[in-house]
Amino acid sequence: MVRRDEASAPFFDALARGELTVRRCSDCAELAAPQSRACPVCSATAHEWTVVEGSGVLVSWTVRRDRGGEILAVGGIVELTEGPWLRARLAIEPCRLSAGLPVTVLIERRDGEEPVPVFTL
Amino acid sequence: MAGSAIAGLGVTDVGKVYGRTARDFAADAVRRACADAGLRTSELDGLLVTPGLSPGLDVSLIVDLGVRELKLLTEIGGDGTSVCAAVSSAAMAIDAGLATTVACVFADAPLRRGTSAGAAFEPGEPPAGFEGLLGDAGLASVHSRFALAAHRHMETFGTTSEQLGAIAVAQRQWAAGNPLAQQREPITLADHQNSRLIADPLRLLDCCLVSNGGAAVIVTSAARAASLAQPPVHVLGFAQSHPVHREHRGSGFGLVSGAAEAGRLAMRMAGTGIGDVDIAELYDCFTIAVLLTLEDYGFCGKGEGGPFAEEGNLMPGRGRVAVNTGGGQLSGCYLWGMTPLVEAVIQARGTGGDRQAARNEVIVVSGNGGAFDHHSTLVLGPDRRGGP
Ligand SMILES: [Zn+2]
Repeated sequence: MVRRDEASAPFFDALARGELTVRRCSDCAELAAPQSRACPVCSATAHEWTVVEGSGVLVSWTVRRDRGGEILAVGGIVELTEGPWLRARLAIEPCRLSAGLPVTVLIERRDGEEPVPVFTL
Repeated sequence: MAGSAIAGLGVTDVGKVYGRTARDFAADAVRRACADAGLRTSELDGLLVTPGLSPGLDVSLIVDLGVRELKLLTEIGGDGTSVCAAVSSAAMAIDAGLATTVACVFADAPLRRGTSAGAAFEPGEPPAGFEGLLGDAGLASVHSRFALAAHRHMETFGTTSEQLGAIAVAQRQWAAGNPLAQQREPITLADHQNSRLIADPLRLLDCCLVSNGGAAVIVTSAARAASLAQPPVHVLGFAQSHPVHREHRGSGFGLVSGAAEAGRLAMRMAGTGIGDVDIAELYDCFTIAVLLTLEDYGFCGKGEGGPFAEEGNLMPGRGRVAVNTGGGQLSGCYLWGMTPLVEAVIQARGTGGDRQAARNEVIVVSGNGGAFDHHSTLVLGPDRRGGP
């Protein structure tokens, strides 16, 4: 079950509004992946959340399976058009995946848990 | 830093050994390493502890060793780089006059009777926040992080699963000559391809074993080592590199590791070149780690690790450099950075038996931490007075 904590609350609030956000450094304006604890360029912790387009290309992926080989989850690294990488769930059949594949976000709303960004074709 | 040498080696029973804690294994390993060197544990004046996953192994190990006082005692972290880092710290401490006789020990006991090996490295209850989101996407495990790296390498350079398989097959072949190896039955490329997918593209035979056990080495001055029981194994060079792969466009994640810079610097300290290396004992938690390290050290070109393995260069007696001669973590045993170091010491002493490499003048040992986030390198050489 996907739950929020203090650091991720603004990210999940934005998802609930239908927006995918990343961190923007208040000092140097660099964009960084949502889970960053500080700016990877200047180390500042002050930041805002900025809405991204929600499109990008696939960098890499893997598939989580049970012992019988059944697929439990497909996940990958998406390079957002704006630059940051997002590690996220993919709603695409593994055989269709390749590096550079254009993908777009879809916000999956779930009962009793936080919304989840899922990338699809 | 040519002044230090490894004078003692101790390895406990390793594998599905139950009922002993990591601390028990660690103390046993230090005792064995001292006995090997012809020293009493009370002669130690330094101890560097490198724990694994299991709790309870820390500086309090000192009370189990029969020492009265140490001049150097600390825990060294850094994941798979900790063992190489400990040996280099010991060498520097000895050079600085802080201590004369330093034990470096690793031990872990992640296996529990009746649970699977993989369970030891599975994340527990999913945390909240971004970490939980990662788990929801199936990306929280160590396997998945290396799988992402492997897929990126494959997509960028055309590396194939069969080429990764060639690494597993070659190391199993080496393991067949190692009585200490846990897995010694030869495997074929078909066995690799038929082994179940753990995290695509990594299959079961791309993954290291999981072991309970411990190992230790005794580091002392080369001069003192010469008067002890074993032929000294000289510490010729060492270096670390921790490149930050930013989660952003342009990241080298999965394509390059700290091995490139650490290897170059360690070779320079040793006054040698990669072309002079006879034996490479590489940290191989997954086959992709061997491949990337081979490329980054310069045993083959960038992106050519796949063909290099496929051509049989890693098979016993075939390549210019002998790689993972004890079977490594894939087939030998999994004692983090100790697995490559233990085998390097055996090869430097010339006591590798059936698997002894033809030449052992320059031996490189690697440590890899995180998913290619951290790297440490040691360069070792045999006793110059004699040798095998
Ligand atoms: Zn900044």
